[in-house]
Amino acid sequence: MLTEYIESRIKFLKPVGISLIIFLISSLFNFSSLQASSEGNQGESKKVDVAALMIHHVTDTHDWHFLDIPGGDGHYTSVAIHLPWILYNTQTGLEYYGNTEDLLSTGKYVVSHEHVIPVKGIAIPDSLQASFPAESLVHADGGHGHSDAGVFEKDGTTTVLDFSITKTVLQIMIVGLMLILVFTSVAKSYRTRTGQAPKGLQSLLEPVILFVRDDIAKPNLQGKHDKFLPYLLTLFFFIWFSNILGLTPLNSNIAGNVSVSVALAILTFLITTLNASKSYWGHIFWFPGVPLPVKFLMLPVEIVGMFTKPFALTVRLFANIAAGHLMVLALIGLIFILGEGGTNVAGGLGIAPLTIAFGLFIFCLEVLVAAVQAYVFTLLTAVFIGQAMEDHSHDHAEGAHAHH
Amino acid sequence: MLLEAAFGVMGAGIGAGLVAIGAGLGIGQLAGKAVESMARQPEASGDIRGAMILTAAFIEGVALFGEVVCLLAVLGGK
Repeated sequence: MLTEYIESRIKFLKPVGISLIIFLISSLFNFSSLQASSEGNQGESKKVDVAALMIHHVTDTHDWHFLDIPGGDGHYTSVAIHLPWILYNTQTGLEYYGNTEDLLSTGKYVVSHEHVIPVKGIAIPDSLQASFPAESLVHADGGHGHSDAGVFEKDGTTTVLDFSITKTVLQIMIVGLMLILVFTSVAKSYRTRTGQAPKGLQSLLEPVILFVRDDIAKPNLQGKHDKFLPYLLTLFFFIWFSNILGLTPLNSNIAGNVSVSVALAILTFLITTLNASKSYWGHIFWFPGVPLPVKFLMLPVEIVGMFTKPFALTVRLFANIAAGHLMVLALIGLIFILGEGGTNVAGGLGIAPLTIAFGLFIFCLEVLVAAVQAYVFTLLTAVFIGQAMEDHSHDHAEGAHAHH
Repeated sequence: MLLEAAFGVMGAGIGAGLVAIGAGLGIGQLAGKAVESMARQPEASGDIRGAMILTAAFIEGVALFGEVVCLLAVLGGK
């Protein structure tokens, strides 16, 4: 009896232990970058800019920064992969630079908040800045770990489009590759093991695939679920895998980037609109069953409604994932705020147990949120497609009847 | 100028508090009713839990809209 109880406890503790290890490792990485940023502003103040670090963590960058190794002389060696810059300059065409240093060495561009901006000439000294209109100047920060800081004059004659493979793009490719590898293997085992019980990866994912089919697609898509199942499954597993990967160390969170969730929502919007029935458009442009003035009143409301659905999808996914990461970072940052960048050891140590307890709680919650957001995004996509495909023609009579 | 920025940060702080109140009320209502209905009809627990999670995600979504606006107010004030 007792051993059974202990065994059941151990089974319960295993995932908790694994999450604790993952959390500690990832805090280690956050810790190292916090130290590095506290090193950045040398001098009397050792204040850590936690807010800037948090924002840097959830935004896209052009180098994949892993950690900083402290050297003897107070400097840090940054361990990072430099990702290529691929730019389209409207005057000189397509350009390619291996890393940010190469880009900056041309003297044609500066980097400000990860955006590349074409400039002319060299940095403008403080004394001359007043002679330029404020909007023609750009404050370069050189990006993480680079030093072209200064004020430059923008080159207004050319525009640059940035097609770089950034951290987020690379992470999307990694998730895509993972999906291809995992699901070709699962599909293969369905072919080779027809009529037999599922095994390995197949038996791990079968309940999830069936869940998406039976609980998300079938109730909402009126018998046409086979047509949309590939999209819904891809959506579900892409969001789920990327969220879980985003919580593990050395990976970047991509659904917390608004561009990624916008792209997913646009796909849903296009599929919804292209599969819409006549009565869907009828409800938008000429709302049935209401008096004539109300029809005109409903027109803008319905048109706005078309776009608020994908907008809500976007913000829900992006804000949930980004907010979770920001919460964990804010809790870890508390150590550095109260520890005053290493000068107040008692403050740092005092808050640490609380930070770790709350941080671990939020982290475990994020594992749940990762799956819930994948579920909600997929479910709402199915609901929207189902609503758009629905033929309301027989409902009109009822609706009109109810209004009289 | 400094005062304006300070008002921005203050507004964001008050906003975050209001968002927490709203979301807390919503989730509390939802969970209370869901637990009550599960107690009345334990055999429908699965369906109720599914509907509860979905609705909780909606409420959370609205709360996060608010949080994003608060975050923008703070970062925009800098």
